[in-house]
Amino acid sequence: MMKKLKEYPFVRKIGWNRIILVGVIILMYLIFALVNSTFLSYSRVLSTLNYVCFLGFLALGVTFVIATGGIDFSIGPVMFCAALISGHLLTKSNFPIIICLVVAVLVGMIFGVLNGLLVAYIGIPPFISSMAGMMAAKGVGSVFTKTQSVSWPQVTEINGWFRNLISTRIGGIQFPTGLILLLLTAVICAVILHKTQVGRYILCLGSNKEAVRLSGINVKKWEMLAYVVCGTLAGVAAIFYVCAYTTVQPGLGDTFNNDAIASCVMGGTSMTGGIASISGTILGTIIIAVLQEGIMAMGLQKDYQYMLTGVIVVVAVYLDVKSKTSKN
Amino acid sequence: MNTSISKKSIIKGIGTQKIVVLLVLIALLAMFSILSPTFRNYTTLITLFSYSYYITFMAIGATFVIITGGVDLSLGTGMMCYGLLGGVLVVEKGFPVIVGMLVTVLAGTLFGLINGHLVVNLRIPPFIATLGSMMFCRGLGSVVVGGMSVTWPMKGTAQGWFRDIFRIKLGSVVVPIGFLWVILLVLIMTYILNHTKIGRYIIAIGSNEEAVKLSGVSVKKYHITAYVISGFFTGLAAIAYAATFQALAPGTGAGLELDAIGAAVIGGTSMAGGSGSVAGTLIGVFIMALLKTGLPFVGLQANWQQIITAIVLVVAVGIDVIKNKRLARQR
Amino acid sequence: MDDMILTMKGIDKQFPGVHALDHVDFNMKKGEVHALMGENGAGKSTLMKILTGIYTKDEGEIIFEGQPRSFSTPKEAQDAGIVIVHQELNMINHLTVAQNIFIGREPRKGMGIDDAKMMQEAQKLFDMLGIPINPQESMRNLTVGKQQMCEIAKAISFDAKLIVFDEPTAALTETEIVQLFKIIKDLRNRGIAIVYISHRMDEIKVITDRITVMRDGAYVGTLITSECTKDDIIKMMVGRTIFEEPKSKSAVEDNAPVVLKVDHLSAGRRVQDVSFELKRGEILGFSGLMGAGRTEMARALFGADIKDSGDIYIHGNKVEINSPEDAVKYGIGYLSEDRKQFGLVLAKSVLENTTLPTLEKFKNGHFLNRTKEKDVAKKYVDELKTKTPNVDEIVNNLSGGNQQKVVIAKWLARDCEILIFDEPTRGIDVGAKNEIYHLMNELVKQGKSIIMISSEMTEILRMSDRIVVMCEGKKTGEIKIEEATQEKIMSAATQKS
Repeated sequence: MMKKLKEYPFVRKIGWNRIILVGVIILMYLIFALVNSTFLSYSRVLSTLNYVCFLGFLALGVTFVIATGGIDFSIGPVMFCAALISGHLLTKSNFPIIICLVVAVLVGMIFGVLNGLLVAYIGIPPFISSMAGMMAAKGVGSVFTKTQSVSWPQVTEINGWFRNLISTRIGGIQFPTGLILLLLTAVICAVILHKTQVGRYILCLGSNKEAVRLSGINVKKWEMLAYVVCGTLAGVAAIFYVCAYTTVQPGLGDTFNNDAIASCVMGGTSMTGGIASISGTILGTIIIAVLQEGIMAMGLQKDYQYMLTGVIVVVAVYLDVKSKTSKN
Repeated sequence: MNTSISKKSIIKGIGTQKIVVLLVLIALLAMFSILSPTFRNYTTLITLFSYSYYITFMAIGATFVIITGGVDLSLGTGMMCYGLLGGVLVVEKGFPVIVGMLVTVLAGTLFGLINGHLVVNLRIPPFIATLGSMMFCRGLGSVVVGGMSVTWPMKGTAQGWFRDIFRIKLGSVVVPIGFLWVILLVLIMTYILNHTKIGRYIIAIGSNEEAVKLSGVSVKKYHITAYVISGFFTGLAAIAYAATFQALAPGTGAGLELDAIGAAVIGGTSMAGGSGSVAGTLIGVFIMALLKTGLPFVGLQANWQQIITAIVLVVAVGIDVIKNKRLARQR
Repeated sequence: MDDMILTMKGIDKQFPGVHALDHVDFNMKKGEVHALMGENGAGKSTLMKILTGIYTKDEGEIIFEGQPRSFSTPKEAQDAGIVIVHQELNMINHLTVAQNIFIGREPRKGMGIDDAKMMQEAQKLFDMLGIPINPQESMRNLTVGKQQMCEIAKAISFDAKLIVFDEPTAALTETEIVQLFKIIKDLRNRGIAIVYISHRMDEIKVITDRITVMRDGAYVGTLITSECTKDDIIKMMVGRTIFEEPKSKSAVEDNAPVVLKVDHLSAGRRVQDVSFELKRGEILGFSGLMGAGRTEMARALFGADIKDSGDIYIHGNKVEINSPEDAVKYGIGYLSEDRKQFGLVLAKSVLENTTLPTLEKFKNGHFLNRTKEKDVAKKYVDELKTKTPNVDEIVNNLSGGNQQKVVIAKWLARDCEILIFDEPTRGIDVGAKNEIYHLMNELVKQGKSIIMISSEMTEILRMSDRIVVMCEGKKTGEIKIEEATQEKIMSAATQKS
């Protein structure tokens, strides 16, 4: 029955995995709406989209790294570090906002470059390099701000215009600009991953790095590039994070790693490398965001979200592992 | 001539990395002592030891798991979760502290068993399996205490005796007897790692799992055992943490696993699996604890600890990576 | 009938899509050395894996020492006295030799392991076998040959009644092989039955008493070694007589231009001061025993490994090759002996593998031109007669021969002038083998030049225009095909410097 369903041309074109993810999102909405009728309100949707936005950028970046068979769990703290440094420059040193936004992206990119150098050129295991990146990001963020939290200006204040990046008021309605920008980035990422040389190399080297190297390809360069993309997008995520949540505290950010990695693996990106799905990652991000919003709407602590995400990650990867072993 | 040979063989026996790391530790100690008079102080030593207990216990667990070629990310949030579980029983439900301690260790062991099951039987990559339990523990720990922090019984109260396990006052002198347990456990675990079947097979699994399987060893049992050891020791770490610090707060455990894993890796345990030592890990722990406690004495913010640790970690692993590359070339 | 120690009757095993064993019979007498022969994929290893409890059989019965038995784990087989010395080494690098030998059955002392006793036992074992290995040495410090000897020592230490040797000599040096044969004879005299799997006809003739031949998962027949000839065996193995006549004359003109010149190339211990020239349209055979350093030479030449010294000239111009990237730029392609690990991205399609080194050419602005990629991949599938449903098929699903063709396509698409074939027909069945040979001959006719590393003497003699022989990292001979004989090559390959 299931098998037959999977063979329909329509189902095959869209992808079974994606259909399931969409189904899960709808199901979650139904459940949460039954428990709390305000869940379907537009403000809830916007609030969910805020979470989707910054998490989406993080998850898109880490998708590239996981595609190479590596891992980067420094992205959450790197995002915070970028937001802290640029925010500090904006609020304490009065730098122009546009410079600060650029700095945020640059900070992310620098972490990406360092990670890439360590992993691709020196051969440090990605796990260790992430660990070091995570500690360094937390440390730098704290040292730079002298362990003070940073609050970005409100939309009504001077320099507050940047918040229109995530949502803007058009004719009395809050319009989710951030979602459009995220989807645009996702399309670009998907094109890069599946239609260009870079993407082909990244996916192939994630599958068998040595074979790609012996084909006369500079694998170090391409592997490093994945980490740079990841870091840069973490910098972009920082901007959308402060658009939505204003205040950043030093020393935090780890939980977002988990959410981002969870989004990827749920979306069908394989932890062993070589297989990645951008649309899956975005759908995964939406699931995590709906989950977190729903748990809040039910009046529960955020802790339940942690627990559920933990279970979801394990189950998602288990299904991936199982389908692979049954194929062989 | 003869002595130089025996010296060389001694160094080879202990392992060059351990010697280097030991020298780094001594150099750090010397640096802090020279730069700061207040560092040369008995209280600093006590603080240093206090930090070393829970990291040591977690790091011993981490060592066993890393030797199998895996990793355990659930150490930090797990420790907090088990400590909160036990603490709630003692503080809110009025159970004797010994029951709380038992529950703490049991909870750790149980989570170790679950991690082992996920990795070994369900074949989920260790990184993901323990990431899952890391998140789960973080949530669970917070849920059982309703988001509030828990303080295990203080010294002087009826149940406060358990704090004497790690720090006892003899006359007016505070004696860090916890260090005694640390040494004892390091010795026991060294013996288990190097001279018992459990240790032998855990090393062998990390080196070449297929070969061990073909030798008729029930690989799964020993592989899971490594995670159980890790969970058990995280339980012990929770007790040490509860006994040496004021309060356990939900959410503060995240990141502590990096101290433990970092200590093991700096101490010479290879992320690729198959080699590692508990004694090396202990040296790594003291480097971590020293960086945690020492930096403010030399006028640096405590946050520099993370940056310096990151650098030490990368350098330690980098040296190992480059050395292995050279070895591979010579073959 | 009583002297039979083992009888396997009607053993049947199915794998998904493959009938690996089709009701195979096999029997062993006490104290005999029994060769098990057949092409790759004939089912020898599967049969032995069933005997030693690694696989379970679907049908059939095993009678060992008069009792019907069935082993579901290697341990059970070991306890019954059946041990296998694997072709792939199963060493635990981080443990010592003694710890490896006694893994899984360590002597106990209290709660721990009695390492001292283990060391003594291992030492006794090595003394008995006359092998100079220190049991306290860490396994990763030993050469492959010595590791193999440890594996054999381990098998013997089980008090085995039947030992299976799966291609034991592949990694051994000449002296070690002599030693091994002495040990095998000694074991036979003690009444131990030995199954000997090997492709080396000469060894089979020397050491075995009987020969059982398998083909395509089925039992073909059993011969008595002293009463049969090599041709008899080969006939049974392939089901037809093959005429693999050596090439009688080089097809290359004496004055053909030199396309590649390697001058005093050294890399690590395995490649020491190797010099040679490759002419246009030539197949230059590289012969030598396992571990002679041929693959290492090729990898250093290709820039895959770092070289210590030496110059490389292409068309007379000195070039710097420090990475595979450089080598490919100068028109060199390398077909590794291990296709699955180094040659192909197994999880990707025929198309993606074919265009991997040439992706640059398929760029249309920033994007890849898939139609063009498809055309090229199709062209090579047709040209090389690769058997694949379509170019989007995952390479992992193809057979060994067709996988090799994809690797060849990859380099042809890159228009490489110089191709290094490292063991081009390893793991490929006879039919596909001939196709690969045919292809190589076509390539040189088109003016390409080939370096062919091969451990098969017949392959070297059949294909090469000239033969370079290596031994222990050094070039020990260069022989024109007109003058080449097996004896000449062998003597150069075993020449100790």
